[in-house]
Amino acid sequence: MNSETLNTLNSYSKNKYKYGFVTEIDDEKPKKGLNEDTIKFISQKKNEPEWMLDWRLKAYSKWKKMKEPKWANLSFPEIDYQDIYYYSAPKGFEKKPKDLSEVDPKLIDTYNKLGIPLEEQKVLAGVAVDVVFDSVSVATTYKGELEKLGIIFCSIGEAIQKHPNLIKKYLGSVIPPGDHSFSALNSAVFTDGSFVYIPEGVKCPMELSTYFRINAENTGQFERTLIIADKGSYVSYLEGCTAPKRDDNQLHAANVELIALEDAEIKYSTVQNWYPGDEDGKGGIYNFVTKRGLCEGKNSKISWTQVETGSAITWKYPSCILKGDNSIGEFYSVAITNNFQQADTGTKMTHIGKNTKSKIISKGISLGKSQNTYRGEVSFLRKADKARNYTQCDSLLVGNQCGAHTVPYIDSKNNTAVIEHEASTSKINEDQLYYCRQRGLSHEEAVSLIVNGFCKQVLQELPMEFAVEAQKLVSISLEGSVG
Amino acid sequence: MNIQNNYQKNKKNIFFSNNKDVQNHREKLLNIFENDRFDKKNNESLKNINLKNFIDFDYKYLIPEEISVINNNQENSYSIVSVNGQCSTFKDDKIEITKILDEDYNDFSKNDTIENNDHFVNLNSLFLNSGFKIVIKKNNNIKIKISNIITDDDLTIFQKNNYICEEGSSLNLIEEYENKNNSSSNILNVIKLEKNSQLNHFLIQDNSPNHNLIITSHSSCKKDSTYTQKVYNFSEGYVRNFHYSELIEANSEADLQGIFFLKDNNTSNNKTFVKHLAEDCKSNQIYKGILNDSSKATYFSNTHVDQVAQKTEGYQLSKGILLSDNASYFSKPELKIYADDVKCSHGSTIGPIDENAIFYLRSRGMSKIAATKILISSFINEELSSIDDEQMAEIIQKKLVRYLSKVK
Repeated sequence: MNSETLNTLNSYSKNKYKYGFVTEIDDEKPKKGLNEDTIKFISQKKNEPEWMLDWRLKAYSKWKKMKEPKWANLSFPEIDYQDIYYYSAPKGFEKKPKDLSEVDPKLIDTYNKLGIPLEEQKVLAGVAVDVVFDSVSVATTYKGELEKLGIIFCSIGEAIQKHPNLIKKYLGSVIPPGDHSFSALNSAVFTDGSFVYIPEGVKCPMELSTYFRINAENTGQFERTLIIADKGSYVSYLEGCTAPKRDDNQLHAANVELIALEDAEIKYSTVQNWYPGDEDGKGGIYNFVTKRGLCEGKNSKISWTQVETGSAITWKYPSCILKGDNSIGEFYSVAITNNFQQADTGTKMTHIGKNTKSKIISKGISLGKSQNTYRGEVSFLRKADKARNYTQCDSLLVGNQCGAHTVPYIDSKNNTAVIEHEASTSKINEDQLYYCRQRGLSHEEAVSLIVNGFCKQVLQELPMEFAVEAQKLVSISLEGSVG
Repeated sequence: MNIQNNYQKNKKNIFFSNNKDVQNHREKLLNIFENDRFDKKNNESLKNINLKNFIDFDYKYLIPEEISVINNNQENSYSIVSVNGQCSTFKDDKIEITKILDEDYNDFSKNDTIENNDHFVNLNSLFLNSGFKIVIKKNNNIKIKISNIITDDDLTIFQKNNYICEEGSSLNLIEEYENKNNSSSNILNVIKLEKNSQLNHFLIQDNSPNHNLIITSHSSCKKDSTYTQKVYNFSEGYVRNFHYSELIEANSEADLQGIFFLKDNNTSNNKTFVKHLAEDCKSNQIYKGILNDSSKATYFSNTHVDQVAQKTEGYQLSKGILLSDNASYFSKPELKIYADDVKCSHGSTIGPIDENAIFYLRSRGMSKIAATKILISSFINEELSSIDDEQMAEIIQKKLVRYLSKVK
């Protein structure tokens, strides 16, 4: 976060919220379980039009017939979909710590290391205090600026009300509800998420982030994000936060759809640091995310950058469909797993148009007893003349109880397309370690330095303010497992 | 005719049908076929295969009238003609050739390197009708050439061979598959390398379009042993090359290489799998393919490194050249690593012939076709020039020229 933002945040956090509080306690207690009534309840709560409810119900009927995809290299107990709240509990219903002293000191420690201001710490730890700075007011200042340019940036719920035409046209166009069971589930019960529309020829002047959006705190476990970049526009979107975040929801199944029209560019950066479970592998979030971008127009570009350090289970494949001629897809990823974490992540690049290019850089680091898998598919369809792909995936193993796996799928149906793939797996180079230690670094510092160097290629793709935090995050993720 | 009917009808003619254990195992296999009906969608190793040929076939086997010949003209050199997958017995102080026995049936079914869902291995166990066992005795250095002949049309050969290289032995094994008739073979080679032994295994495949060849091998290497396999696939008919290797003791090595040349509507499925189960082992998996016309190929490579297999070196390389618009190539180079002190890598490329190289040659007055041919030859030159056996190098060179003559 840049200093300007921090100043704004600070100034707002000092003032009490002038307009009073609206604390709505729902009469109806949320019901567990998934059925048509739950979906109707969600739809009604969100005041949705009829067609949206139909869309959700259709997705639900598809979900009922589907089974979870089983091909990933993950093991976890079966998910009981009837034992989950699908509409987040009203405030006051959850047990919240009263102040920071009730929060796990380890968590506070991490916040301090990341250099997160005290007020922000409270929000992240979910402390129920009155004077938490209000993102609403911060957001409004930015909102004005965005509105001038014609950029729509709001929650998906709001977009359904206000921009039904865009939603009808694009929602589910990249990830059809029937794609697989998690996308169907998300389509049926999504409660929140962002909607971004960048009009023709507009370059968005700032990095958009969920952080500035109203209700950002309750992003919910079934997030749905839709970003549309119209002809010749540009947008950079940040998701997540470097700070570890507690969440009571075990299952997360988000869907993110990007659409880039002619000459448009979308840059999507994620830092994911959900609760990974404790040292014995208990608890932790199951993160089943579907992210897909469509390069619809000519010369469009979609770039995914992700730093994955959290979650007990990560199942995530941000992919690009390169439909427009000359379109470009990029994927940069760092995945760090520690303790009993399991990550199965990668990408899918589908080349349809002529002269399409894609680049994949993936760095996996496994520590402790974790399992880290890269799974990626690159396919050239018949008409993808002169398409080009370069893939590099490197894995680093620290300790002898973890596993690093690479599973690429490479399919070429065009004889002018060129594909290159390389991967390597190794442990930390002894010589490098020796060199660092010789110059007075402790073992842990040396490992952290080398790992940061290993990831640099990816970290430098992140927007500036994210990159600095991400570097610290990498070091923190390695703590306690080296030596 | 479906698998169940085929089996019930021909039970009597299949090997070891009187053995209770074998029978029980086969009942289980039949159940697997009943429940999992060659599900193409969830089993990627079935990609591109015309399953009809393998599910609905008419079982037919003839016990060969002519007895195979074993020649021992030169010292330490043997040439064997295997007829319909059978071979006469032979014994001297260096090697021993026998028929396979009941007890050889089971040594494999308990192994888990080959997955249970490899239907073709299961079919082989179910309809087993031929095969032999060759033992190379201690500290001998010999060369064997095996020519495989199938006598009649429409024969379905289900063959299982056992090779055992005893301590300190060294074997050069050349296998030729050149069948011109309308038949199919499903062959499973089980290879055991004892301490400090060595096996160089060459497979030359050049069948006519009507012949389907499914060849699977499973080798296990003990301490200080080396298994090298080179597959040259010039077949015009379908070929499936699945080769599994297990490095079970320290300092052993497996080298699985292959080249395939495809044209017309032909398909080929290839797989190599190396399992590192001990320290200080090395493996190489290198496959190169040239695909013309509407041919299709898949190549799966897999290096599995067990937690105890420290100081492993495992490399994979896959290269494909697509010569035509309609050709397609699928490759999946996999690494599964559970140990930290390892050096493993894979590389994979698919593309056309380098245009700059073609331009270079053409600017020196060469026609486009000639330039293409030169570049294809150079693409696989490394593999061809590494053949020590002059006679074999010549054979392969000839086949290459034949393939290149069809390239336009």
